[in-house]
Amino acid sequence: MSEAQFLEEIRQNQSIIYKLVGLYANDAEEKKDLYQEILLQAWKSWSAFRNDSKFSTWLYRICLNTILTQKRKPSKIDFTDSLEQHSPLVQNKATLDEDVFRLRLAIRQLAETDRAIISMNLDGYDNNEIAETMGISSNNVAVKLHRIKQQLSNLLKQ
Amino acid sequence: MNNQQNWKDDVNLVDDDLSKLLHQPNLSKLISHNPLQKIKRNLLINMIYGVLICLLYLFIIFYFQIWQVQIAISIVLIFSLWALYTAWIQYKKIDISHPLNSSLLVELKRNYKSINHWIKSQQKVAIAIYPISATGGFMLGGVIGSGKSVEAFMNKPEILISLCITLIILVPLCYYLAKWMSNYAFGKHLKTLAQNIKDLETEK
Repeated sequence: MSEAQFLEEIRQNQSIIYKLVGLYANDAEEKKDLYQEILLQAWKSWSAFRNDSKFSTWLYRICLNTILTQKRKPSKIDFTDSLEQHSPLVQNKATLDEDVFRLRLAIRQLAETDRAIISMNLDGYDNNEIAETMGISSNNVAVKLHRIKQQLSNLLKQ
Repeated sequence: MNNQQNWKDDVNLVDDDLSKLLHQPNLSKLISHNPLQKIKRNLLINMIYGVLICLLYLFIIFYFQIWQVQIAISIVLIFSLWALYTAWIQYKKIDISHPLNSSLLVELKRNYKSINHWIKSQQKVAIAIYPISATGGFMLGGVIGSGKSVEAFMNKPEILISLCITLIILVPLCYYLAKWMSNYAFGKHLKTLAQNIKDLETEK
């Protein structure tokens, strides 16, 4: 498949990259770096992609593997800070509903691996798919999800 | 869960900053900032320098007909060739692709192991090579600087004491400098990788 076709596939699924990059990047520059790294790694791994899984699932895995093995700046987000202050990191605030915005900031407060698990869960992946992507048992995923949701609920009440 | 609906409604996200990056002229020309890719690039640069240094050692061995210096430099050359070989083995071992079948936990562990292995091997090389190269350099510098033979130069007790002091100070200093530099470059990243591995493996 040509580079143009690959970029078209990416364009159709770019919200996955935007969401995940937005959950981990600590400034606008890092957001661009992570996005570019994902593009590169996806392009390099493209030849290994077989259509036995969905492109979006494959891209999800590439994104998480790339972001979490990348050297990143330490997180400085404090949930009690003003939302305006962090708007460039999360997304353009004007395009986001306040609830979504608060949800994203709350997820950013979680541990790095918890962010990956909850984002997959919120995107509709079942426990087995999450377990396979993470490399842990589905029982462990269920236990973690229970705890993460409680934590998220507490953060959103703040 | 209301959050799930909020999250899913977010599917038509637009990010102008990132969208611009999709118009790359050639994806293959992008430079990766992946830590393993960087280590691999550094290993390649080290190997190129290693070959040039080995050629310099060969020149010294044939140019300076001083048997003590020739022995010291020959030992340094053997160690340098060994370092070159280990760098080559490690270069070949580092796999920078993201295989589709690898889970996140496997990827995290592979990265952690490769970076840790690289740091440890750099420290081992430092401990093995620094004393010999320092001695070789001390003798060569002394012979060239004083214009005397190695026997005449090394004959004085104060020179031997100076060499011992140089080794006592220089070797640990270089070792800790190498350790500090690798920690500075990868210490925090390794801690994050270790923490993420632990978080995934812990059942809570």
